[in-house]
Amino acid sequence: MAERVFAGKLERAGFVDVWVGGHRPFGIDEACLYPLFTSETIQVMRRAIPPDRHHRVAIGVMVKARKPG
Amino acid sequence: MARDLMFQEELKQAVRQAYAGISTGGGDSVARRFYSDQELTQVPAGAVEWALGVGNPVRYAFLQPGEAALDVGSGGGIDTILAARRVGPEGRAVGLDVLEEMCERGRRHAAEAGVEGWTRFVRGEMESIPLPDGSVDVVVSNGVLNLSARKSRALAEIHRVLGPGGRVCMADLTVEGELPPELANDQSAWAG
Repeated sequence: MAERVFAGKLERAGFVDVWVGGHRPFGIDEACLYPLFTSETIQVMRRAIPPDRHHRVAIGVMVKARKPG
Repeated sequence: MARDLMFQEELKQAVRQAYAGISTGGGDSVARRFYSDQELTQVPAGAVEWALGVGNPVRYAFLQPGEAALDVGSGGGIDTILAARRVGPEGRAVGLDVLEEMCERGRRHAAEAGVEGWTRFVRGEMESIPLPDGSVDVVVSNGVLNLSARKSRALAEIHRVLGPGGRVCMADLTVEGELPPELANDQSAWAG
């Protein structure tokens, strides 16, 4: 899910003051730390994703929002 | 429509199987990326061992003593326990997880942490949260919303259980552009 889609879904759910920050690249090396990614999936990642994007397959974000009072 | 529902059910089952099939979380190598030494001393080793998140939403949630907090997708309980520490015995913390074995781990870890008196774990889906309307002040979630095939539904449920003025604080992964089709259709990639 793209960041703007995430924020848009929050707004459509009725939240206000949506804030997205704390951006942090999530690469294949980080994915290797999680047992949920199988070795086969890691191999697919290395093969299917261009090498210059291996360090930034996704972006970790912190998203905050508020329900109107 | 029927195909979409089947797709959603397949994804749900894939995620459940992936989480039920692992014997440990990311452990220290994941936890130390997001939590301070001080925070890690506040949770039992077992909860650290089961760390599977992608951030530290409790740190950003600014929980206050006496508040009611819900951790959506609580896993081994690391964020639920940290939230329980912040809200204290005059507040309450609830961990929600779709897997009963994860809830059991959370309960065990909460007891080890000494916060079981005001912390509970309930089994349920984020798209159908088994809590009353307006029953919590804050919702935190860590790397969980992306697992849902019905994200808008999950967010609507989070909105429903929050009281007026309630806050949500979620850590998650976003992508820029499209993932290669081999990955977008890979169940392990989805579950991770």
